[in-house]
Amino acid sequence: MAWQYTSYCKVLFIAKPAISPPEFNTSERWEAQLRKGCLEMAVLASLWNGSLYGLEILRVLERDSSLVLAEGTIYPILNRLRTEGLLQSQWVEAEAGHPRKYYKLTPSGRDRATQMAETWRQFSAGLGRLIEPVLAAKSEHNNSHNNVEQPL
Amino acid sequence: MTPEAQVNDYLARLRASLIGMTVSAREDIVEEIRMHIRERSSDPESSVDAVLAGLGSPELLAEQYRTGMLVQRARSSRSPFLILRAALRWATTGVEGFIVFLIAVVGYATGGAFLLLALLKPFFPQYTGLWVGPNEFNLSFRMGATMTNPAPPVHEVLGWWLIAVCLVVGSLSLALTTQLLQFLFRRFWRVPFVPAAHVRPAMLAL
Repeated sequence: MAWQYTSYCKVLFIAKPAISPPEFNTSERWEAQLRKGCLEMAVLASLWNGSLYGLEILRVLERDSSLVLAEGTIYPILNRLRTEGLLQSQWVEAEAGHPRKYYKLTPSGRDRATQMAETWRQFSAGLGRLIEPVLAAKSEHNNSHNNVEQPL
Repeated sequence: MTPEAQVNDYLARLRASLIGMTVSAREDIVEEIRMHIRERSSDPESSVDAVLAGLGSPELLAEQYRTGMLVQRARSSRSPFLILRAALRWATTGVEGFIVFLIAVVGYATGGAFLLLALLKPFFPQYTGLWVGPNEFNLSFRMGATMTNPAPPVHEVLGWWLIAVCLVVGSLSLALTTQLLQFLFRRFWRVPFVPAAHVRPAMLAL
């Protein structure tokens, strides 16, 4: 399931052009907003296949979705999702010698994840169609640019 | 400062900033962060300094926890006090939060004013009422230096019904404000998110 938003995020990241400083700030802010919007769904989706502890969730997000966030951010989010009844947590004595707090989805967490994933799929499919010409124009531009630079 | 002292100092500051929650909730959070630091810094390529920097300041971290809990409580609470506090917190994050806070203040102030009017009527029946006249449609409580009521033809129309009307309108205003605010909290309030400014996905290099 993770690939749905993963691949979409990648497309958006690739589309980020090399731009001047003022635009860069706007674009950065937009990107931060975009990630913020994905975050709750990404956390729920990362727990779809079983329970994980905070650091593992961070690693899964980083590996599967390039959703890199400040490490401190994940814990307050987990705490909130738990108080909302979407996750439940349990301290487990780990082999590493210290306990770890594992999180897993509750039934309502699974419902929410499913619902968010469906919404996301519809949303990204719609936007994907919309941005197709933009990306096509960009690749055409790149091609012609490359042709000019090629030595004769 | 030794790495251990650094960690203890960080956790002490975190604990001190996690106000307004139960001791067990607070210690649970502190313990989880302690384990994160321990596991992260056990990586030979990492250091306590880098791990603590990655977590951000303990005050900011605590703020995220507290805001998250306040959002959660405000979404299910009916207490105007809690809702106003949450709206005030939201107001500090941007324009939309500020507008929501204004809605909350205006809504609750209107409701409160109507209830106050109902409360004052038994004590100052002459000076509390709805006066209607040829050029006036004025719901007011008049008491002060002048101690005068509008002169005829302006006259009071509601009499003791004012209490019932004000109770109904005031309660409705409070209830609607609460409902509206709860809707706005649920629908639009996202907990502040701190993007990782210093770490960037490799993909951005493309």
